[in-house]
Amino acid sequence: MKKAILYINQFFAGIGGEEKADHAPEIREGLVGPSLALDAALKNAEVTHTVICGDNFMGSNQDEAVERILKFLEGKEFDIFFAGPSFQAGRYGNACGVICKAVKEKFGVPVISSMHIENPGVNMFKKEVVIFPGGRSAAAMRKDTKKMAAYGDKVLAGEKIETAEEEGFYVRGIRHQVVDFTLEPAAVRGVKMLLKKLAGEEYVTELPIPKSDRVEIAEPVQDLSTAKIAFVTTGGIVPVANPDRIQSASATRWGMYDISEMARLEAGIFKTIHAGYDPAAADADPNVCVPLDALRAYETEGKIGSIDSHFYTTVGTGTTEAEAARMAQEMLPFLREHNVDAVIMTST
Amino acid sequence: MKLELGNFYVKDVKFGDITAYANGILTINKDEALAYVMEDEHITEADIVIARPGENKRIIPVKDAVEPRCRVNGNSVFPGVTGGMTPAGNGRTHALKNTSVLAVGKHWGSFGDGLIDMSGKGAELTYFSRTINVCLVADTDEEFERFEQQKKNKALRWGAMRLSEYLGNAVRELEPEEIETFELESVMKRDAKIKELPAVVYVMQPQSQMEESGYNDLLYGWDTNRMVPTFMNPNEILDGAIISGSFMPCSSKWSTYDMQNCPTIKELYKEHGKTINFLGVIMSNLNVAMEQKERSAIFVAQMAKSLGADGAILAEEGYGNPDADFIACFDALEDVGVKTVGITNECTGRDGQSQPLVVLSEKANAIVSCGNVSQLVDLPPMDIVIGELAALGRDGLSGGWEGDDKLGPSVRKDGSVILENNSMFCGDQVLGWSQKTMKEF
Amino acid sequence: MVKEIEKAGFPIVQMANLVPVAKTVGANKIVPTISIPYPLGDPNTSKEEQWKLRYHRVGVALDALATHIDEQTVFEVKF
Repeated sequence: MKKAILYINQFFAGIGGEEKADHAPEIREGLVGPSLALDAALKNAEVTHTVICGDNFMGSNQDEAVERILKFLEGKEFDIFFAGPSFQAGRYGNACGVICKAVKEKFGVPVISSMHIENPGVNMFKKEVVIFPGGRSAAAMRKDTKKMAAYGDKVLAGEKIETAEEEGFYVRGIRHQVVDFTLEPAAVRGVKMLLKKLAGEEYVTELPIPKSDRVEIAEPVQDLSTAKIAFVTTGGIVPVANPDRIQSASATRWGMYDISEMARLEAGIFKTIHAGYDPAAADADPNVCVPLDALRAYETEGKIGSIDSHFYTTVGTGTTEAEAARMAQEMLPFLREHNVDAVIMTST
Repeated sequence: MKLELGNFYVKDVKFGDITAYANGILTINKDEALAYVMEDEHITEADIVIARPGENKRIIPVKDAVEPRCRVNGNSVFPGVTGGMTPAGNGRTHALKNTSVLAVGKHWGSFGDGLIDMSGKGAELTYFSRTINVCLVADTDEEFERFEQQKKNKALRWGAMRLSEYLGNAVRELEPEEIETFELESVMKRDAKIKELPAVVYVMQPQSQMEESGYNDLLYGWDTNRMVPTFMNPNEILDGAIISGSFMPCSSKWSTYDMQNCPTIKELYKEHGKTINFLGVIMSNLNVAMEQKERSAIFVAQMAKSLGADGAILAEEGYGNPDADFIACFDALEDVGVKTVGITNECTGRDGQSQPLVVLSEKANAIVSCGNVSQLVDLPPMDIVIGELAALGRDGLSGGWEGDDKLGPSVRKDGSVILENNSMFCGDQVLGWSQKTMKEF
Repeated sequence: MVKEIEKAGFPIVQMANLVPVAKTVGANKIVPTISIPYPLGDPNTSKEEQWKLRYHRVGVALDALATHIDEQTVFEVKF
């Protein structure tokens, strides 16, 4: 029976939530949390160990976390390595990608993970790690784990791996040629595709152009000393009453709050409602997230002209790209009305 | 303009006393044929070897392929190249089908040369495993390029063209087994029903990368590097107005045979009057300098627009910097409202992870992908090698190498080879035969 | 959000901890922060140290806003 090892974060290990996100890496013999489901789903392997690490520990001390975990794995017998599923959790997805990539490089075993399509970990690691599309939340745990296990079984059995489309994992940007004498010749495919395109009908291009991720670089500020700067944040800093009822996750609402008379953001006046990180530090001193005090200093010194009367805020965790884009678009008229020259965005 | 291609379907080729064609058999008087070829003093030694589909034969280095043809009026098949300057695309031309003349180096290969396997796995990767190949295997006195990676290969290529005319003449007086007719009325004088159909142009980008003459594709004998895009009748392409050059990494290459038989033109003709109004061909090129690429794109888009094209098929003879021309024309056409489909190959690297085209554009949203120049191909030894196998590793062919840290030499001691698809002779068949595509893994 | 704001013509710099994520999602100007729950001030250090770090990195961000770049750039911080 082949052996598998699973990586999970502190939350799914049952250790704790955000307050335990700094949990140092450890390895436990046997099954913890999701490894039960993975072990049950796998036919060709058993999960022998579970690696656990806090998302913040990995995020802030990546090299050390990886080094420690690779050390745990040295001397362990394992044929395949899994991480997650990490759903839409950006830090967890990043951690899964990082550790899978490192394990693959050091031990040469197949590495498999699962992430929701909007998890930034997908685009970052899909080339090196086989990542399966996953659900938004832990409600999809069983389904996502089954997908990883089914593919893992196939790989362990030495079966032929077909195209990304057929196997179901995210397109990785790894393209190879396929000779297929049942295909129509390129001339026929070309003319047929053109006829469809001319008629406005749907067709499938054989070379999907990856969407360009970058926007055109905006003109830099010409004269900082006269510029008006605004803060936008996805760290969820709001007045303690959260008057606009911004959601703590998967936000669809945003707010703008008057700071024109403030030298800094005071604890007790502002707090964070972002569910995705330990709020303690930000509640105790909101300036660690929206550094108004530092910007005021630069305003007093004359490095910048002025600060916008308001700052603009929402919560980033779980928020879809589409909603985030919409909210930003709604902020724009205010930025323009206030004659803002440039923006500092802080994210968590 | 009306072109009649009179076809004779060759079943076998053999040597005999008289060069003649009867009942599907092409007989070649080898001495006479070689004497004709060696009228060119630059050819110092030559032989003709037949390779048939299914035989255990490997041919390398192959420099061009030419379909044996003749014009019934006696004009040269390749105006401005093998004979006088006469217009192509009108009148009767006879062709020996299922057969190709190949220009093969007896010893020396060059960057744009390729490999053909007549059977086995390699046979899947080139069209010329299906043709009966009349291989002109020769050496020349072209000392100036003997050891150059880039070769003009003039003597061999002209030798193949002349040999193809010599063979084609065998059917000059005969009644064809079949006549293919290609006729387009002048653009303005088509009947109302045809004019209602979407108007389509075929934009061709032949290889014109070299600054010095002698390497690039030739149009009526004129270097395609020294021109700006122009409008042509598709019959001209089918009838010898354009010949292949000697530079393009081989899987991307359009051999003269590919051009004479251009599948995309034939497909567009098939649909003409039914689903499209095929206006004709915009012949562009693939020059290296950015300004020249941009200039060609301007001409292409302007001509397409002025002709009233609704759609275009765009084909690129190359990869790498020519992708910039491909995308420039794609964008330019789309920008003037001409809906475009591109046909090209990709270069995704041996690991498949590289960007497929060096330039990308969201407007290039309709592409038929013909293959991957980087694909590693491992082929077993073949009983007979026509030409010289060592050329693959030694002479700088685009898909071969002397030695590689991981993969070893391209040519192994036992005669097996490892190479990139790049050197499979005209392997990506971008002019339209390709039954390959690219998939995500 | 950074992209939407920049598309509208506002120079913008993103201060974030997971720089590779910021790069992938497409911010053009990036200044690293030290962590997620406390991007600009480690509560385990003294108030002075926190201030020093925050003041420095915000300064880098302001300079970045005024800097011409040709491609995605992660701006260096000294501490």
